[in-house]
Amino acid sequence: MDIYLPIAEVSVNWPLLMLLGATVGFVSGLFGIGGGFLMAPILVFMGIPPTVAVASQASHVVASSTSGVIRYSVMKGVDYKIGGIMAAGGVFGALVGVELFRYLRLLGQADLVVAVSYLIFLGSIGSMMVFESLTKILQRVRGETPPRKERRRPMWLYGLPFRMRFPRSGLYISAIPPIGLGIFAGILSAIMGVGGGFILVPAMLYVLRMKANVVVGTSLFQIIVTTAVTTILQAGRNQTVDIVLSMILLLGGVIGAQYGARLSGRFRAEEMRAALGFIVLLVGIQMGLELFVRPSELFLMAPGVGN
Amino acid sequence: MFQDLPPPPPAYEAPAPEQTVATASEVRVAAALTDAQIKVDTGFSGASIVLYGAVFNPTDVPADVVLVVRGPDATVRLVKKTRHNGVWLNSRPVVFEGAPGFYMTASTRPLPDVADFGQMRRLGVGVDHLRINAPEEATTVTRYGVRDVVISRLGEDYLDWRRAVIRLKETAGLYKNNPDGVSFVDRGLFRAEVDLPATAPTGTYFAEVWLFQEGAPVSVSNLTLTVEKVGLERSIYQFAHRNPWMYGILCVFLAAGIGYAASRIFRDR
Repeated sequence: MDIYLPIAEVSVNWPLLMLLGATVGFVSGLFGIGGGFLMAPILVFMGIPPTVAVASQASHVVASSTSGVIRYSVMKGVDYKIGGIMAAGGVFGALVGVELFRYLRLLGQADLVVAVSYLIFLGSIGSMMVFESLTKILQRVRGETPPRKERRRPMWLYGLPFRMRFPRSGLYISAIPPIGLGIFAGILSAIMGVGGGFILVPAMLYVLRMKANVVVGTSLFQIIVTTAVTTILQAGRNQTVDIVLSMILLLGGVIGAQYGARLSGRFRAEEMRAALGFIVLLVGIQMGLELFVRPSELFLMAPGVGN
Repeated sequence: MFQDLPPPPPAYEAPAPEQTVATASEVRVAAALTDAQIKVDTGFSGASIVLYGAVFNPTDVPADVVLVVRGPDATVRLVKKTRHNGVWLNSRPVVFEGAPGFYMTASTRPLPDVADFGQMRRLGVGVDHLRINAPEEATTVTRYGVRDVVISRLGEDYLDWRRAVIRLKETAGLYKNNPDGVSFVDRGLFRAEVDLPATAPTGTYFAEVWLFQEGAPVSVSNLTLTVEKVGLERSIYQFAHRNPWMYGILCVFLAAGIGYAASRIFRDR
């Protein structure tokens, strides 16, 4: 049941890989996220070189996001205009990110930066999600009414030039914040191998204050473009995309995602967010721990030179 | 400071006795591999090759056989985790040259019993005698725009680093030492197994079969072995390296296509 991966140059058990793809796909369908942040650590744990894992799973994100965008597009849940602007930023960010990753890899610091980014981003987003959703759940249990939220966008959003109209999102804002958001997500996509949905969705919702029904679809659309470019760049510059690995993962992934999406309607939004927040937080802490725990092996091979 | 460095390159051919003219009175070793061409395909999960050999030994002096298999050289970049203010960070990488990608020894007895340290070092037999070197001078090489300090001020730590290279390779199953890996199946006829892990590098491998008598090498037989990717593995690997941009675009289209197909298939259910 073992299959030899031509680029990763290791032999792995393929039913296990497909199961991993299906599990991550299930989680991603359930919560409406890409799930990349879960996949990379597990792949590395299975013995796949981190650089190959990060680059190959980007195409898994492409596949799961494609089926997501098609689903949301039917429901008119994608704002292609703002999504396109964010994607343009994302492409630029991916270019920067892939070069940055290449540089860090040659410096022998790639795994450190990956660990730090996981700790910072997953840790902070995870705790915010847990805190926010637990507060809501508690309020519901106690029967309190939530205090009225301030529905105003930050004022600096209006002070910026290049204002554009985005009718579907109900916005008339400068093009700079969406571009900036896209660039940021693009860099993360290259370094962490994630789509960046866990950053994009809250930012679009709470900072840009887009209409809630177009947020997930639009972020998925921007993620497709960014991760597609990341995949091509990783393949072209670093030759670290293993097509056999990504095909096995995404075959399992698309199936898992469908079942996850079907199940997601059965839970309350806050409970889902609390659960997702805990997962995000756990992965972030797990990845960050290696910075503080004395490693059992002080030396490690740094990839580079030959490959 | 670097007295622990292995000596200059050993002259492999020098100690080998004249073996071209085989006379009945000469002690000689001959060997062959069951498979001299390892094909790495989709189902590859390592390979096990058997080496058969014969010792033509008309004398009564006991003989030891030592098999050495050496894979293509692969430069090793090593980093060490060091603690700064409670956080474990990577040091700058140090490059070691001359480390083979695969190295194994198998013998009839533990290597120190077969011949003494000096002899083994001269022949370069055994993991401890590999010429894995980091240049003494600090040289700065720029690779892909990255300043790479190849080595500097390793000094006392040098042996630690060198041992780490060997230890990591051993953990990966790429360096092995099997003190009873060569067994005599009959008088003068021996066999040994060469186990290649799935991570074994592709390329040409050199095998040496040494015959020792009373701690001195008396004969050697040289063999080669190739490990290469074949079939689909080879096509994908070559495509990914020769035409990386097209390869990336194809990956994306395949992924998007599968995503699209999935949403069609599952739409109505």
